[in-house]
Amino acid sequence: MTMTTALSTRPTKAQQAGVDLLRIVRINEEIKSVVGVAFKINIMALNAIFLAKRAGTAARGFGVLSNELRVFSQDLRDGMSALTGLIHGCVTEVSVVLQDIRHTALLRRAVELSPVACGRDVLAAREVENDRHAERLARLRKQLRGALDDAFRMVELGGVLAKSAKIEAAYGQSFALPLSQVSGEFDGVVEEIRSSLEALRRSAFFTGN
Amino acid sequence: MKKTKTIFEDGNHKWVAIVRDPDKPNYLIDTNEYLVTHGSQGMLLDPGGAEVFPAVFSALSSEFDPSALSAIFASHQDPDVCSSLALWLEFNPQMRCYVSWLWAGFIPHFGGSAETFVAMPDEGVDISLDGLMLKAVPAHYLHSSGNFHLYDKVAKVLFSGDVGAALLPHGEDGLFVENFDKHIRHAEGFHRRWMGSNEAKRRWCERVSQMDIGMLCPQHGAIYQGADVQRFINWFDGLQVGISGG
Ligand SMILES: [Fe+2]
Ligand SMILES: [Fe+2]
Repeated sequence: MTMTTALSTRPTKAQQAGVDLLRIVRINEEIKSVVGVAFKINIMALNAIFLAKRAGTAARGFGVLSNELRVFSQDLRDGMSALTGLIHGCVTEVSVVLQDIRHTALLRRAVELSPVACGRDVLAAREVENDRHAERLARLRKQLRGALDDAFRMVELGGVLAKSAKIEAAYGQSFALPLSQVSGEFDGVVEEIRSSLEALRRSAFFTGN
Repeated sequence: MKKTKTIFEDGNHKWVAIVRDPDKPNYLIDTNEYLVTHGSQGMLLDPGGAEVFPAVFSALSSEFDPSALSAIFASHQDPDVCSSLALWLEFNPQMRCYVSWLWAGFIPHFGGSAETFVAMPDEGVDISLDGLMLKAVPAHYLHSSGNFHLYDKVAKVLFSGDVGAALLPHGEDGLFVENFDKHIRHAEGFHRRWMGSNEAKRRWCERVSQMDIGMLCPQHGAIYQGADVQRFINWFDGLQVGISGG
């Protein structure tokens, strides 16, 4: 009995593709805003380097970390552009799948209605093509998931750097206040990105619920 | 599924009307598709919208092998005329689609490749269907600004696209016009609003009056035959068109 209920409430392929499209559009919007925030990190890292230079020997430890933060911000930018490329690929592929489904449904109805056995080969060829598109989408989905995981790990590392910078800032003597302000902001932004990415990884687009 | 009705037959030279789908939802305008066959080839005139493709395809396949369709004739660019194009091309990717040059860049949005389209110049062209010469007759601005009808001199049939169209109420939807005066009431509103140019209409009426036409076959409504053909041309000639209420 449970089986029957599960089958009857399972969404059709077209409904599923429609839902996927909505989800992927939402993920795209979220990634766009994360990319925007990541851009801020670049400017902050530069700021931290200038500040460390001005503080000189008073903040040597902070200076080393600020260079690390700069490298992190560049890596983050690369990670974000990889995400952007993959998400665009997913949007395109979900749209193609959606179009396939409508096209195939019309073909199938035509072949079924036809009083003579006709067009089955055309329908079969169309289905092979559909499978290719579906596989491409599955591949992209996996890659996107992987890229999100990579970005997440990178951001976790960024969080550690930011927290170390906060500690180092305390040893910055007369520069302690501005240094802790910069590292505090940095930490806040990294945390913001981290929680966005965490939410994205939980998206039903990947978990399939 | 739609019905097929052979309206002309001489050996393998045939005109088949594909009409009246009882299962078609009401929000879609009803359309007539026409299949012309000669020798081993077939041409489908205004193949219809994507939504009605299953009904048209299944009816057509009972008469003719869809993979032997060599061409599609699209009178103009409307979705009820040819939004099914991509689906037909699945059965024969080599199929050609004849369209006004005006729409040769627009209709590919419904499907097809660079090789699919044959752009017809404004003055029209002769199209060979396995040796049978069909004539694309200019009917621009009636209603589309790049618009053609198709004339078969041998069968004396003129496919007239949206000209002659009628929106028939349920129960009065016979394939042929039986009572002209009664029928034309269902055509009047359509022609007044959809047809945009009195001058173009005048020229079309003059042109087709000189042609030998036994049947005038519109894309919507019923077929005019015999004396009703000239009756329609006279009626259309006298109608003021291009008027909207707003
Ligand atoms: Fe039209
Ligand atoms: Fe039409």
